Amino acid sequence: MILVPITYRGGVYRHSEIIDLIEDLGGYIVQKHMIAQEVVIQCFVPKDDVKLIRAIGKPLAGEVTDSPLVGTEIAVVSMSLEIHHLPHPSCDIAEYVRRLGAKSNMVGMARGVGKRIAGLNDEERDVINEHDIAVYLLGNFETCIEHKMPVLLRGIEVPVVLCGGPDKDVLERIVEPKVDGYVGNVGRFMHRTKESEELSKLDEIIAEITRVLSKRREELAKDPLSVSPARLMDVIREQVPAILDVTSPTPLTVQMSGLRVKLPYDTYADVLRKTEIEDGITIGDIAAIEPSRMRDYIIVRVRPFSETNMVI
Amino acid sequence: MQAIEYFEVECTEKLGGEYYRQIANDVLLDHNLLRVIHKMHIYIDPKVPIFVAVGVLKKVTTLVRVGDIANVNPQEGKMTLAISDETWLAPMLKIFWDRFGKDHVEQPDRFTVILYGVTAGAREIEEIAIADPSQALYKDLIYALKCTCPEGFRVRSENYGAEKFSFVASEDTLTDAGMALIKEKFAFMGETP
Repeated sequence: MILVPITYRGGVYRHSEIIDLIEDLGGYIVQKHMIAQEVVIQCFVPKDDVKLIRAIGKPLAGEVTDSPLVGTEIAVVSMSLEIHHLPHPSCDIAEYVRRLGAKSNMVGMARGVGKRIAGLNDEERDVINEHDIAVYLLGNFETCIEHKMPVLLRGIEVPVVLCGGPDKDVLERIVEPKVDGYVGNVGRFMHRTKESEELSKLDEIIAEITRVLSKRREELAKDPLSVSPARLMDVIREQVPAILDVTSPTPLTVQMSGLRVKLPYDTYADVLRKTEIEDGITIGDIAAIEPSRMRDYIIVRVRPFSETNMVI
Repeated sequence: MQAIEYFEVECTEKLGGEYYRQIANDVLLDHNLLRVIHKMHIYIDPKVPIFVAVGVLKKVTTLVRVGDIANVNPQEGKMTLAISDETWLAPMLKIFWDRFGKDHVEQPDRFTVILYGVTAGAREIEEIAIADPSQALYKDLIYALKCTCPEGFRVRSENYGAEKFSFVASEDTLTDAGMALIKEKFAFMGETP
């Protein structure tokens, strides 16, 4: 069964029918937002059943759209958290990827600015590496980008999409080591993105992120994960009731090959390890439970089939 | 940038220069500084690295007086001021307290101030200067230039006086060659520092 990420947007009235339908079809709900009279459900559903959900949702004024970024956690890396880089463009981009279903986190570097003085510390590196993809937002000068990128990419293991002021081909030429995606003509600016030309640039960033993530999905498909992170999320939600008391908007953040559990590591790591998924197989058997560098959260990294020799 | 007579951004990287022209425009517009700048020249060389901004200001607006923000109505034994703009209310009250004493100044509501037993005439009260907006201008201007210049350029030299200003910033220690650029860039505008 191939699961595809979609977003359902409709009225609050009878939306529980849609939730039941998704669950009955074997899908997983990643996030549910209730905004006034509207409900937005981001979920994974079987590919063949998208038509059915669309048909059943139609009388309820429901709309189903493809959301390739659902179930991904994206790090939007800003060179600093000063007025120079915030709120534009960092927040605009972080907000835009969120609209398309991704969970985005802003990583503001302590010393990301400048040419000679730019640096990346171990905490920033580890936090970025906990995401599925990192979007680097750089400045307008190719000299600076060329000079500082080797330092800022040191130790980064996740795919990187780089946005900068120079043209795309210039970025491709000057950046060493090479990264997975480039978006040119999006450097530092001090106004809100509202012109159509600027919005199309945001779409270009999304297209590049989607392209890089699809490539990563293809790689993952060659050696499939022992369990789908979305399924793991359901298991934890059912068997670890403490997660229901967490007030964070996404207590369980689904990633492409893992899960961020927003519970304290010291208290709940063992509980998670011993949680049974099916037939006596516990989460500890098929996933690594590690402390996250983000607060005292837990990061669950699902092992591939080649390591565990099982897929459930 | 119609309000500015001369506005140039000179940069060793063409595209980078265009972006910085837009950034400078946005920042000055946001801080409401376009109306006070007469000429401005920005020079950026990221290779050195250095950022230079020089410019000439327009004649700054005159002092704010009581008459500009309030209507003064003389009555028997008292004088009632109807405030139209609260911006300068706090400094105005402070001046009244110093001059007439707190016993003679009353503010029954947000937009009314009453002066009791004051010997000065209405005209005289209207002429009292309460603020000098040009004092805050320097701070605003330097802040705007800090926002415009690349963030890593933290070694700065700021200069302001006689309606002219210069701002030099770099990542490294500022050299004499860097400071000499101020004179050179003023010359582009037909001015001397």
